[in-house]
Amino acid sequence: MIGTTRWGRAVRNLSAATALAVISGAAFAQETLKVAITDEPPHLDTQMTTATLTTIVNLNMMETLYAFNEAGEAVPFLVASDELSEDGLTAVLTLRDDVKFHNGDTMSAQDVVDSLDRWGAHGGRGKLLYDMIESVEATGDAEVTITFKGVFGPWKNLLAFVNGGPAIYPSEIIKDRGPEPLAPEENIGTGPFKFGEWRPNRYIELTKFEEYAPHDGPADGYAGGHEALVDKLQFIAVPDVGTRVSGVQAGDYDYAERITGDLYAELNDDPSVETIRHGAPTMPLLFFNSAGGIFKENFALRRAIMAALTPSEAMAIAAGPEDLWDAQGAFYPKGNRWYTEGGLDSFPQQGDPDKARQMAEEAGYKGEPIRFMLTTSYPIMYDTGNVLVQQMKDAGFNIDLQIYDWPTLVNRRAETDLWDIFETTHGAVPDPSLFTFLNDNYPGWWTSPEKKELEAKFVGTTDADERMALWTDLQALAYEQVPVFKPGDVYLYDIHGPNLEGLPEQLLIWPAFYGVAKN
Amino acid sequence: MGTFILKRLLSAIPTLLIASLLVFSFIHLIPGDPASVMLGDMADTAEIEALRVQMGLDRPIWEQYLTWLGKALQGDLGESIYFQEPVTRVIAEGAETSILLALFTMVLIVLIGIPAGILSAAFHGGKTDQVVSGTAMLFASIPTFWLGLYLIFTVAVGFGWLPTSGFPSVLESGDLSNLKYLILPAITLSAPNSALVVRLVRAGMLDTMRDDYVRTARAKGLLEHKVILRHVFRNALIGVVATLGFTFVGLVSEAVVTETVFALPGIGRLVVQSILRRDYPVIQGIILVVVVFYILVNLIVDIVTTHLDPRVKMA
Repeated sequence: MIGTTRWGRAVRNLSAATALAVISGAAFAQETLKVAITDEPPHLDTQMTTATLTTIVNLNMMETLYAFNEAGEAVPFLVASDELSEDGLTAVLTLRDDVKFHNGDTMSAQDVVDSLDRWGAHGGRGKLLYDMIESVEATGDAEVTITFKGVFGPWKNLLAFVNGGPAIYPSEIIKDRGPEPLAPEENIGTGPFKFGEWRPNRYIELTKFEEYAPHDGPADGYAGGHEALVDKLQFIAVPDVGTRVSGVQAGDYDYAERITGDLYAELNDDPSVETIRHGAPTMPLLFFNSAGGIFKENFALRRAIMAALTPSEAMAIAAGPEDLWDAQGAFYPKGNRWYTEGGLDSFPQQGDPDKARQMAEEAGYKGEPIRFMLTTSYPIMYDTGNVLVQQMKDAGFNIDLQIYDWPTLVNRRAETDLWDIFETTHGAVPDPSLFTFLNDNYPGWWTSPEKKELEAKFVGTTDADERMALWTDLQALAYEQVPVFKPGDVYLYDIHGPNLEGLPEQLLIWPAFYGVAKN
Repeated sequence: MGTFILKRLLSAIPTLLIASLLVFSFIHLIPGDPASVMLGDMADTAEIEALRVQMGLDRPIWEQYLTWLGKALQGDLGESIYFQEPVTRVIAEGAETSILLALFTMVLIVLIGIPAGILSAAFHGGKTDQVVSGTAMLFASIPTFWLGLYLIFTVAVGFGWLPTSGFPSVLESGDLSNLKYLILPAITLSAPNSALVVRLVRAGMLDTMRDDYVRTARAKGLLEHKVILRHVFRNALIGVVATLGFTFVGLVSEAVVTETVFALPGIGRLVVQSILRRDYPVIQGIILVVVVFYILVNLIVDIVTTHLDPRVKMA
């Protein structure tokens, strides 16, 4: 009836126009996934920093030759197949031939060689691998040959670890570049998203890379076939945790990282957000100075300090609910393929001040000041550090607590004569050889002959069982010589709105936003 | 008037030079450098040193200062180490947010603080005065981070009336509705500042009320509201104008806490972040701009004051 009157026609036209507008609006709507991060990353050149914030952004646009799957194994990613010679000294990698860079060029063997060379020459993690490498050469359009100086077990793990890792860039960008980080727009990779723009203090925007050539396998952790399911990704620095939470609750952000433990129970009951726990822990680490000061060659005094500590008290204060921490001393959590109980008998469950005092006396300690450097920049370090320092004081250690902002602490720890203990945190690493305390050049400088001998054996074999047995011995040695003390594991958690689909139950290490859709 | 302004501007040059020299030396005295911040935890000393050389940080401080000064005189404040963009652009990004937020807040401060102050003074000692002064004390005592989070929690999350945080550019999009992002931050910032203005207006007016000419005005039979507004308030305003000027500069450059709570890309947060990152060119650039801004606002305050009080001569 309506259609026959003038009003009816008007209504009909209006609804047709509205319908058209809705349809065209939907067709042109750009879906943007907004991620609230704690701060801006220092830069986006993942080869040159291990900063987590760089990794979180970069994971979506840069790719590596190998990638870690759900089980934590390094599997071929930009590489199609590989072959290791019987003597373990030559690896021939065949690259996938369909991989496109964001600038439209196809990835070649030369791009890979130049990317690896720059990382090996200047990247902190790259040097670990390149110290063991004779040469990396393009031996075909899609073939790269790596020649090792000796058998080197962790090579694939190092090539797969994106944090401070060998992202592959086009030759014209990466060839002969020094340590200076690339400009944001130079981050041209092969990932499902490409760099859009970085507005200082506002956001970093990545856009969907339409010509992305996914790996042909199923998505599996950071490996397998990826797909961008939104048009844009925005990473927005929201420093205040309360604001990050409110922003997700109100729908202003879709995802927010690093929420504090005190909100965990409340947010688990809140229908407007979902919590997502990190599967891999972050661990606070107290580094002892092995190159200078009171602890130099005095392993007994370090063990005395350890005997004074009750790690669970520090962990509970720093991380909150018991779901989010575990006061355990193994360098990998239970369930991880690298978990071992080597040396754990010495891990203090309950501190014993009297025993610690006696051990210190036997180690020749006469109340000299012990310089402990701590930072206010990161709450986990500050909170655990303060509790542990008090426990040390209770056992009679004369702790000179020095508090700095992070850049100052980093500056001071590089000098062997300025400190005795400093605290930092360490992220999850897929291979023990990546632990900073095993790195001879890292402040702490653990270079005892026993460590060097075990470490050489450990990296010098590719046999999985042998590597595990040697890692067990290394962990046991770390409890005897105490280059670091680890009070436990902290599990961070993030939150997201209920409209996000495709996120795993638990993050592998960092969130990745390929395969994630907004409804 | 022209000579006065010119003189004032010329006298600003030594101030600027001294300020830039002080800032330059202080920030280079703080330990820690941008190279180690950028290369992260795993970088070895050799790489950090190589980057320092590449960035020119190994040269003597006086040489770095002169290079910077030479460029600054030509309007080139250098490039941000962190963002790898011209400092002027980085500051301009922050300036839009900070200036709009400060203007918005100033409007609220004037609309709330001045009438409340007048009321409080006009009825001093009475119930109105007690209520106004009490409320002012309450708002002056509330920490801004708490008020900010409370407003986010109730108004933005609870009622969903306003966005929780962030601020998309108005200048770029031309979309004035983006100003809604600044409502809660402006309320947060105006609370303690309005309270200050209330106290100032009240105190200034109470001082003036004891003056002879006010008694004369009343004696000749002027209506009370005319006495208050035309004679008392106008004279009390002189001190308030100076305070408002500096409050405005403070709002632009020092609203760190509010900018952090509301994740606003403003100048205050930028300067604190730049200090933590040791982004020397940005710190120097901002300080320079803020000093210039202080000088200009000071000049404007002086001009306004001479209009309000003809006894103050422009010298």
